Amino acid sequence: MSPPRRPWAEAPAGTDHADLAALLARVAIGDRAAFDAMYDRVAAPVFGTVRGVVRDPGLSEEVTQEVFVEVWRAASRFDASKGSPMAWVTTIAHRRAVDRVRSEQRSAARDRRAASPMIAYDEVAETVEDNLDRDRVRRCLGTLTDLQREAVTLAYYGGYTYREVAGLLRVPAGTVSTRMRDGLIRLRDCLGAGR
Amino acid sequence: MRVRRPEPHTLAGAYALDALDGPDQARFERHAARCQECTREVTGLREATARLAAAAAAQPPPALKEALRAETARTRQLPPVTRDSRAADRIRPPADARRLGARRLGARRLGARRLVLAVGGAAAVAAVTVWVTASPGPPGGQPAASQEIATVLTAPDAVTMTAQVRTGGTATIVMSHHDGMLVFTAAGLRQLPAARHYELWVIGPGRDRPAGRLPMLSHGMAGPVVAAGLRSGDRLGLTVETASGTRRPTTPMILELTL
Repeated sequence: MSPPRRPWAEAPAGTDHADLAALLARVAIGDRAAFDAMYDRVAAPVFGTVRGVVRDPGLSEEVTQEVFVEVWRAASRFDASKGSPMAWVTTIAHRRAVDRVRSEQRSAARDRRAASPMIAYDEVAETVEDNLDRDRVRRCLGTLTDLQREAVTLAYYGGYTYREVAGLLRVPAGTVSTRMRDGLIRLRDCLGAGR
Repeated sequence: MRVRRPEPHTLAGAYALDALDGPDQARFERHAARCQECTREVTGLREATARLAAAAAAQPPPALKEALRAETARTRQLPPVTRDSRAADRIRPPADARRLGARRLGARRLGARRLVLAVGGAAAVAAVTVWVTASPGPPGGQPAASQEIATVLTAPDAVTMTAQVRTGGTATIVMSHHDGMLVFTAAGLRQLPAARHYELWVIGPGRDRPAGRLPMLSHGMAGPVVAAGLRSGDRLGLTVETASGTRRPTTPMILELTL
């Protein structure tokens, strides 16, 4: 299935976003079949994101399960005017993953994580096979400056705070925060324009 | 040593990446509560992070889906946030996702096939609003009136039932016995040729009456249809019909259940 060709706000009915939004609306009233259909569409991005941050396979599954129970519980709170359904779900997933690693900072899973600045970026390629989004995202990440790209990927795929990223990259925290913002804006524009 | 604090607005990217915690996060959220532009920006940036997530896609083990079926069966759903929620909540994921670790908060053990739909008035209305705005308009078919749907969903005795459709798909019925009304929706239905449609029936003692043609959405999703005037002992049926305005079912029931 090809990705939508327009930004979410203009996405016509019948695109992935609209379908996913319709599924979520049905999940909100307790439709288990809609929940299954929704799961099939978003499970891979959710699990991949969680596993990237959490690392430990068992813990990743546990967090992924929590994410979907949360989606089930909170489906009525999805508001299509405030973003795409995929962004809503992946935001819940990423948040829960980082909350987990931050609350278990000293766990073995966390300690095993490598601190090399480039590792998160490289692992995008490792963990993903045959993924249409991957190529586009990788290409767009390539348009960022090194610092922007490292800041964005360490935070998102690594689950580090911007102060931790500043420590890893040995640059001031204020610089990291602006690079994260500039980098994400550029990424957003590249992904939007390149569709 | 004094830690240098960046301007709150420049933290929008870090916030969208979940790279703020503790005081930094609280500070940005306080700022965003007064800054619509920040809220808008975070929303836009999260579309970019969603693509980062998609790029990292990896299939979870199949057992996870099975485990979730059991978990959702005993997890009660939340009412939607209301209009007067604080601005900070607008850019946050559902508050409970982060503040409450208890995923079974409010969970109640319920029969697997019969979930009490415990939604308040505002909850159901909002759910329907989301539904109506999110659903593509059904071509050929009368969408049920939101008011009627809301009546059923907000009924104190509303129950949800699910049932398999013999030719494929699952029907979900929310019913108020007190009001004698139900809302019917379905997912995963087989696509029908253009000349055929799914018709809902109320099968009572000595009489069958059509309850409405099922509006088809994309991907085998259909509904909602509201059926009213239900009496004790009535059954609900679904058939595939060719002609419009058929007065009784002309093909075998592909779904039949006692209400």
